[in-house]
Amino acid sequence: MNKNNKVIVFGLTIALVIGLLAPFLASGNPDGLESAAEKIMNEHILSKNLEEIGLEEEGTIIPSPMPDYSISGMEKLGEVIAMIIGIFVMTAFAFLVGSIFKNSSSKN
Amino acid sequence: MHIPDGFLPLWLSAVFWVISIIFVSFSLKWASKEMNEKTVPMFSALAAGIFAIQAMNMPIPWGTSGHMIGAALTAIVFNSPWAGVLMLALVLIVQGLFFADGGLIVMGANIFNMGVIGGFLGYYVFKALKKVNFHLSVFLSGWAATFFAAVFCTIQLAISGTFPIDLGLQFMGIYHAVIGIIEGIITLVVISYVSSVRPDLLKVSKKVITHE
Repeated sequence: MNKNNKVIVFGLTIALVIGLLAPFLASGNPDGLESAAEKIMNEHILSKNLEEIGLEEEGTIIPSPMPDYSISGMEKLGEVIAMIIGIFVMTAFAFLVGSIFKNSSSKN
Repeated sequence: MHIPDGFLPLWLSAVFWVISIIFVSFSLKWASKEMNEKTVPMFSALAAGIFAIQAMNMPIPWGTSGHMIGAALTAIVFNSPWAGVLMLALVLIVQGLFFADGGLIVMGANIFNMGVIGGFLGYYVFKALKKVNFHLSVFLSGWAATFFAAVFCTIQLAISGTFPIDLGLQFMGIYHAVIGIIEGIITLVVISYVSSVRPDLLKVSKKVITHE
């Protein structure tokens, strides 16, 4: 394996270690934005915006396969699997985009 | 700091989609110049790490938590704010499509806050201060990227009327001033590690680190 591909393997390894730990170690508290929203959200404006896009509550307009990094009915194992899938999808996506532009630059 | 669909009205979401598409297309122009055998693996490895660490919410006071963004880190590694823009665009696409983390309608706003503001603020704070103190500049780069991304997020919410501007800046500012410390520390740890193990992967390394 060349020196550069080792970088990917190293990055993936670190990411997978974090990904395996995250479902157990990550804080379940709301993040900064959610926490602020709980305290100061103008509910009237929120419901107006939700009505405009046809959603019942805030989230995403198209349902995600693994909402909140979980797989329904699978508890912690589902969260670990969701993280592993996400890490591989993320790496492949970044590699793909990078490779497309690598080729385009070498041709020019 | 991922805005969900519903927090911004359609018109404002559309405005930020347009702005972000312009920035992302410039970041792709950067990619077509800079992507090669060495940078593609580094970019992919960093994407994996940033995706994973973003899911690791760390507790801060006030019953709240925060996580890494990574735009400043990416901008420093590749010595370009455009790298941070591209990285966060890709991360937010994966998070939005697969994990319902950040809305799809408001994705342009999220790319703008975390990628554009995070990448540019992070990069220029680093660049302005690196000669004063390399480690401090890296830390402050991560901190400023997080803090000012939150400020811009609050401005969007205030324009929307979802948050009042004064309380919005107060809560979002205080939370993200603390979350920014986490960002600064992780950014510093990763940059220090890469610069000691594989300095050739850091585009800024020759100019800055060897002078220390």
